[in-house]
This record gives sequence, C-alpha cells and structure tokens, in this order.
Amino acid sequence: MKVLIANRGEIAVRVARTCRAMGLPSVAVYSEADVGALHVREADEAVAIGPAEAVRSYLSIDAILGAARRSGADAIHPGYGFLSQNGDFAEAVAAAGLTFIGPPAAAHRAMGDKKAARRLMAAAGVPVVPGYDGDDQQDARLGAEAARIGWPVMIKPSRGGGGKGMRVVRSAAEFTSALPASRRESQAAFGDDAMVLERFVERPRHVEVQVMADTHGHTLHLLERECSIQRRHQKVVEETPSPALEPGRRAQLLAAGVAAARAVGYVNAGTVEFLLDPQGSFYFLEMNTRLQVEHPVTEAVTGLDLVRLQIDVAAGKPLPIAQEDVVSRGHALECRIYAEDPAKGDLPSPGRVLHLATPQGPGVRFDDGIETGSEVTVFYDPLLAKLITWGRDRAESIERMAAALRRTAVLGVVTNLARLQAIVDHPAFRAGALHTGFLDEHMGAAPAPAAPPPEVAVKAAAAALQLAGRGAGAGPAGAAPDPWASLGAVRLP
Amino acid sequence: MSADVKVERVRDGAFVATVDGRRVPFQCVRDGARVWLHWDGVTYVLEDEEEGGRGAQRGHAHALEAPMPGRVIAVKVAPGQAVVKGEEVLVVEAMKMENALRAPRDGVVKAVSARVGEMVSPGTVLVELE
Repeated sequence: MKVLIANRGEIAVRVARTCRAMGLPSVAVYSEADVGALHVREADEAVAIGPAEAVRSYLSIDAILGAARRSGADAIHPGYGFLSQNGDFAEAVAAAGLTFIGPPAAAHRAMGDKKAARRLMAAAGVPVVPGYDGDDQQDARLGAEAARIGWPVMIKPSRGGGGKGMRVVRSAAEFTSALPASRRESQAAFGDDAMVLERFVERPRHVEVQVMADTHGHTLHLLERECSIQRRHQKVVEETPSPALEPGRRAQLLAAGVAAARAVGYVNAGTVEFLLDPQGSFYFLEMNTRLQVEHPVTEAVTGLDLVRLQIDVAAGKPLPIAQEDVVSRGHALECRIYAEDPAKGDLPSPGRVLHLATPQGPGVRFDDGIETGSEVTVFYDPLLAKLITWGRDRAESIERMAAALRRTAVLGVVTNLARLQAIVDHPAFRAGALHTGFLDEHMGAAPAPAAPPPEVAVKAAAAALQLAGRGAGAGPAGAAPDPWASLGAVRLP
Repeated sequence: MSADVKVERVRDGAFVATVDGRRVPFQCVRDGARVWLHWDGVTYVLEDEEEGGRGAQRGHAHALEAPMPGRVIAVKVAPGQAVVKGEEVLVVEAMKMENALRAPRDGVVKAVSARVGEMVSPGTVLVELE
C-alpha cells in the first residue's frame, strides 16, 4: 500500500513515520508556502498541490486526488483538520478507486452535522446537553431558541471542529454580536454556517473516549482522555487516564463511547467527546471521525500505534486485539506547542524558527512539525509540535513534562511554552482539579511580565553572539549564519 | 559580585556556559535587532539599547497597530467616533481565527487607515486616536 498523506505539519510527519516503520512508501503533499517544510522531507516523495491558501491546496479535493494519481498512491491518510472529516472527500477517494484511511463517508455525514448527530445519539440512549439542533437556521429563530435554552448558551458550527467559530454568550445582546462572527468563521473554515445551540455547562471537564472499529464487526474503546485545559475552545493539555473518573463512572463512559460508535456503524479510529459536569453526569458533545491531535497519550499508556491500526483496518484486516487486551499502564500527558503569544491574548505569532531545541529522556516523546529554519506562516493552524510524557503515575508524567518543557526552546517564534510551564506547575493542575475554564480562572489576565534575565545569562548571550559572529565568516558580525547565503558563494565546477 | 562566565559554541545557536564551575547549556540567536536567548528553562527576547528605546515607544496609546500579519475583515469605527478602552475597533483574521483588536484607552478616532480585505503586516498603523 502506498500512502498519500493529505496534510501538513506534525501530523503529516507522524503518519509518514508509521508508514516508514511498516515498510509502506509514503507521499507528502505541500502548498507553495510549505516547499521547505519538515513534512515534505519525512515522506518518501512529495507532490506540490497549489498555492498557500488552504482552500486551493490542502482543502482542495481535486488537488489531493490529482496528487494521488500522479504519485501512484493507492491509499490516502487525511490526518486531522483540513479534509479529514469531509464526507465528500471520503466518497471521492473511494470513487477514484483509492482506500480512505478513516471512516466511511456515511459516518462523517452522520457525525459531521452536529444537529443530526445530537438527534442520533439521543435516539441511541447516549445523553446529550439540552439545546437546539433544528434545521430552521434563521437568526431570529436561533435567538429565540437561545433565550429558551437559558443563558449562558454555547454557539457551535454544526459542521465545525477544533473550536473554530464556537462562542459562549451570556446575554441576548452578546448573542446578537457573536452569531455573525461565528457564522463567518464557520463559513470560512467549514463552508457552512448552520449552528447548534447548547446550554453552556458551567465548570465542566472535557473527557473523551477513543474508539477503534474494524470492518469485521469489532468495536473497541481504547480508554478515555481528559482534555479540560483549553483556550478559545481549543485543547492545550491532554492526559489519560482522567483524574476525575472513579472505576464505575469510567466504565459507563467507555460503554457510552462504544454505543455511540456502533449507532453510526463506525469503522476506523474515532473519538466520542463528552462533557462531565461537577456532579459526575456526562453528556455527548460530538464525535470526531478522524485521528485526534491528542492520540499519542493513548498510545503511551496502551502501547498501541493508532496510525498503524488505522492502516490495517483500512486494508480490511481485523483488529489484532480484543477489548480485554486494552490495558492502561501508567499515565501520559501531552502539551501542545502553539505559535501564539499569551501576552497578547493568544494572538498567532508567525515567524522563522531560528533555533529549535527538543527534549529527550525516559518517557519523553516530541512530535515535531517544525525544525530550525522552518517558516511559521499565517496560512495554517498555529500548532508547531506536541510534547508527550509518560510516567508510572500522574505525578511522574507531570514531573517529566515540567523538566521537558524547560528544555524545549523555539527561538525566533513566540510560543506558549512559558504558559505551558505555568500550567503544569500550577497547584490546581497538580491536584487534578480541572475544568474547561481552568485557564481563565487561574491565568486569565495577561501573564505577569517576564522577569529580566539574570546578569550571567546576558553575559553568556553576549559571548555567544561574538562566537557566532566569528563562525559566520563573511556575514555581518553576530548575524545568525544563513546556510543558503554561504552556499550561494560556492563556485561549482 | 559578578560571576565569571566562559562560553563554548556547540553548534549553530547552541552553546555551553561555564559559570563558577557549573556547566549550563543554553541557546542564543540574533534576529535583526533582537536576540533570542533560552537560559535555564526560560526564553528571553533581548533588544539592543537603541532598538529598545524605539521599542518602548511602540506602546504609545495614540495608534493601534497590526500585531501580526493577517487580513482585516471588519472595521468597526470611523474618524470622529468616541471609543472606550477595550472597545472592539477592528477584526483581523490570521491562522483561521478572528482576532479582535481593542482600543488601548478612551479617546476619539482621528484616522482609520485599515481597509476591509486588506492584508496587513505587523506594525502597520490601522487606527489612530486623537
């Protein structure tokens, strides 16, 4: 099987690595903005698919299928984001005679429309949050439904994912200004502006069940993850097992996840997301019909390679494990490293990675999407890399994470690394007292301005710049050496 | 008392300092007028003295500048309009997210140079206050 990876960044790199481990040839695709990107070189070959704008490259079904044809790929892994949850894409891939490494189009459609998914889950006995999932989408009707549900209300793009276009509103006035912005973001990101409204559950935890199903009728759960540390409805820190679940509740949650997957005849990897309220009740949130960003924590505690399972299932093989073989060992934590500036309200912060230092050590995994020299552009998601640690227990994985974060440096691009350090060092985080408003509650305002560097560090930096300047030869003193500039001066015979 | 520091270069951007007999690996690169330094788990951005002076002025509250490259998707004020601190003045889209830019203080809008649909780069003055 030759696998085309219809994605970019860290997930494209990660999928390419499993292909390599399995001995499968892989094909990367890239836009004009990604010519020099890491994922392009991690695959066996690479095909250009169009301009920087995602709608004309990574989101273009024609461009992706064309690349598959040109490279002779016979399977497509969509990663996450982009076309990964697009039923039309899954269908077009199948129609082109290629294998889609993911669920069938019908599952995408059943779950991709959050309105329909809510109705389906309620019918299957999976609890849902009180809300509005109707087809009448006029502003006035939505406004009336929001008032009926009662403030605060969550506005969610019916076709959405990843937090884009989602907003919590606490009054009719806020609703009126938030709805058009949500619709615009939804239209831009998902090509649709229908909305679902739900009562906003106060101080909930976000817990989710990883499911995996084959084409032979086996549907398994691969335990849960907790992803309560979020900003702008986008996950930042994830872990498994959840510190909030006692065994009885965990068993109910995992069973609900499997029931949800079975209700849509699910095949391949998927995630059923739930809100867990402070009283311990859980409600279906949505199902993500793809591999999740945070899947490595599941891999760390189960010892499974989820991408490998996805590829085997797509090839028609039965799952190599039964439910009783899925055992959690220890605890795993993931931190998402974003190009964004917590001091400026988490605004995206593009730039060039001038130096990247990555941590190693027992129980440490770094899923990289960048390297020294990478350009971080405004065109795509600001996720740069993921840091995952494993430990015998939660305290050990946190300890390893705290140390690994301190050894991670992304110079040239402002990142959330300092914020991640503050999160894992926070007493409430260490105590496992999490909820989705954790960041607002504990680090809401702009972070305290960083203390100036110690004098010895400034001295060392001055000495370092002098050494670097000497090493750069003809370049201006102290400038970071540019390998292309020096190569350009070499005369070839 | 100031510690004695000896620095060796490991490779581009990576160094080891010896401080009072203790070895401290660190990373450091120049970025135009700025210097990025990762020391003891913390990343710092240092500015040259001259540039630092200029940098200090960037916080002046008369102008609202684009904080990052992106596309202006909404302009919510017009010249002559009074705004209060924190009021949403513009929306800039970057990395698929809408980012509201807010008035840095109470005031009256003197000029609006941002146009909807325009791509802007960091530091571009979008709105000026009197």
